[in-house]
Amino acid sequence: LNAAPGRAPRQQVRFLPTPSPGGGGAVELVAARVPVLADHPLVRGPRFKKLKIGAGHRLDVKASGVFVLGIGHGNKLLTDLHNCHLTKVYTVGGLFGKATDDFSDTGNLVEKTTFDHITREKLERILAVIQGTNQKALLMYSNIDMKTQEAYELAVKGLIRPVGKSPPIITAVRCLQFALPEFQLEIHCLHETQQYLRKMVHEIGLELKSSAVCTQVRRTRDGVFTVDDALPRTQWNLQSIQEAIRNCQLKVETELEKTLG
Amino acid sequence: RRGLCGAAGPPSTRQLREAEEAAPVFQYAGKAARRKDRVFVWGFSYSGALGVPSFVRPDEGWKKPRRIQATPYRLETEEKISSAACGYGFTLLASKTRDITKVWGMGLNKDSQLGFQRSRRDQTKGYEYVLEPSPIPLPLEKPQQTRVLQVSCGRAHSLVLTDSEGVFTMGNNSYGQCGRKVVEDEIYSGSHLIHQLKEFDSRVVQVVCGQDHSLFRTKKGTVYACGWGADGQTGLGHYNITSVPTKLHGDIAGVNIIQVSSYGDCCLAVSDEGDVFGWGNSEYLQLASVTETTQVNVPRHLPFKIGKVKEAACGGTGNVVLTEEGNVFVWGYGILGKGPNLIETAVPEMIPPSLFGQSDFSPDIRVAHVRCGLSQFAALTNRGELFVWGKNLRGCLGTGRMEDQYFPWRVTVPGEVVDVACGVDHMVSMVRSFT
Repeated sequence: LNAAPGRAPRQQVRFLPTPSPGGGGAVELVAARVPVLADHPLVRGPRFKKLKIGAGHRLDVKASGVFVLGIGHGNKLLTDLHNCHLTKVYTVGGLFGKATDDFSDTGNLVEKTTFDHITREKLERILAVIQGTNQKALLMYSNIDMKTQEAYELAVKGLIRPVGKSPPIITAVRCLQFALPEFQLEIHCLHETQQYLRKMVHEIGLELKSSAVCTQVRRTRDGVFTVDDALPRTQWNLQSIQEAIRNCQLKVETELEKTLG
Repeated sequence: RRGLCGAAGPPSTRQLREAEEAAPVFQYAGKAARRKDRVFVWGFSYSGALGVPSFVRPDEGWKKPRRIQATPYRLETEEKISSAACGYGFTLLASKTRDITKVWGMGLNKDSQLGFQRSRRDQTKGYEYVLEPSPIPLPLEKPQQTRVLQVSCGRAHSLVLTDSEGVFTMGNNSYGQCGRKVVEDEIYSGSHLIHQLKEFDSRVVQVVCGQDHSLFRTKKGTVYACGWGADGQTGLGHYNITSVPTKLHGDIAGVNIIQVSSYGDCCLAVSDEGDVFGWGNSEYLQLASVTETTQVNVPRHLPFKIGKVKEAACGGTGNVVLTEEGNVFVWGYGILGKGPNLIETAVPEMIPPSLFGQSDFSPDIRVAHVRCGLSQFAALTNRGELFVWGKNLRGCLGTGRMEDQYFPWRVTVPGEVVDVACGVDHMVSMVRSFT
């Protein structure tokens, strides 16, 4: 970063004494633009000595996916984005037949069960109920008085969002793939942790009278940032980072304006 | 010197895998596991209408009686219940079984609306409050062949529809609502009388009880009525009592009616072409779209331009219809479901489908059925979710809160809701478990 050409030094108008073109001895003041000495690179030193980098919503060691970082002024935008309470989208992979103590496939085995009675229909029924109960939680934590017309209008548009802290709420679940014993879900949620999602997979297994463990948790969207905007490991260099920041600026600004006003 | 056993150390991957493969496999549900049918009840319990005696008379001394059950509570039944109906403080449950006991009743029995329930203390008298589902003895000719198709309950009378033996009526008959001649000063409490009605032009396929009148719909699409008519709810062209089921004419003459509905003093009928007909009380603008009179005693066609209507339900002051596209329209007076600002309307207003869970994420959610209580509405979606709204009288909405609900709200039931019956202050639902 420091090797990149920095800002041009500021110019100032100074009245410099120059020997007058007339006779010797008399000194005239001539206005001239000269660079300010304080801006000289040798005086100023390297432009960036430290960089403030902040992290967005947490991501587990066992999980993968989009992870948002803010640099410098971006840290303030990060707090604003957090207060927007936007949903995150995860792709969660699960496996029927096993139950472990930490709900993932690397934990200690607790129980093995049969799973051949499970069909896609049964799974989708359970997912519908999960969505339903979380819908109620969404409305309750949004601090809106149910008796007002405003509450009705927001509910129709689907714009009810929790204000402030709340337990994890799942706004939508969908089954992407189902091939016994594996299955994959797409989950839209708020205020959650990856362990909560793994626990949910375990509970789905219990509800279907079997058991399930979570094999994969991958965040595909975090608020406005999707997998397309994210930089893979090969692109962790200055050029790509700067380009990515430029591309996302507009999106972030519009989202913040829309939500926080 | 080495001991006989070495230190164990953390198990290697191979040991872990072998341990896992050797672990026993448990089976909780086999391939032939069937989904179970259950009944859930909620609402006001002191009348006994919920069928749980421990709410009214707790079995342990330290337990307190539960006046209101605010969330769905499972009711254990011996047979699979195919039809349920909620009256004004009592409930009837019916099963399609061939056994001798086909109908159970619970709740108020002061007018013998649950038949004669012999009291154990005094064999000559009957119970006035029945606290748990008790069999109702029907005088069937062929009890092991006839099946009960449907039950319906009004304010103080009930109707039981069978497949081959007509309709059985019991309860209060002061206005002829049981289809038999009114006997002056008849004492209904502890009465053994269950009347049988068989004279219709074809087989009766639906029975509906209003507050003090009864409607019968036959296979040919005609509607018969009997009972109180002061609001014109019998639709027979006069405002008097009718004690014999009589055919209705008016705008439904010659029309094939596929569904009738009533709960208070207003009635609605849906024809096979999707038209809606109404008669009865119109004090709350239920029929104000065709007439300004507050009592309509002849069925009138309601010219609504909302599409082909599939199902209609009448409440005490508000009505709701469901169209073929799956949209829900409400009109009338009261909490109609579009926020606190909409109190009354004579023209049907649609409730946005997004309130029933439809969104970009799940675009194929549709409302499959609509039901009405006295001042509550219920809607069932094709995913098996139950939405309720209206006045929350003594916790009858089942939401867990005691406040009125101004827009459709999900009721959390552990299962897929197949059907729901709404009463004045309680509701009964038939649910299938998930797995």
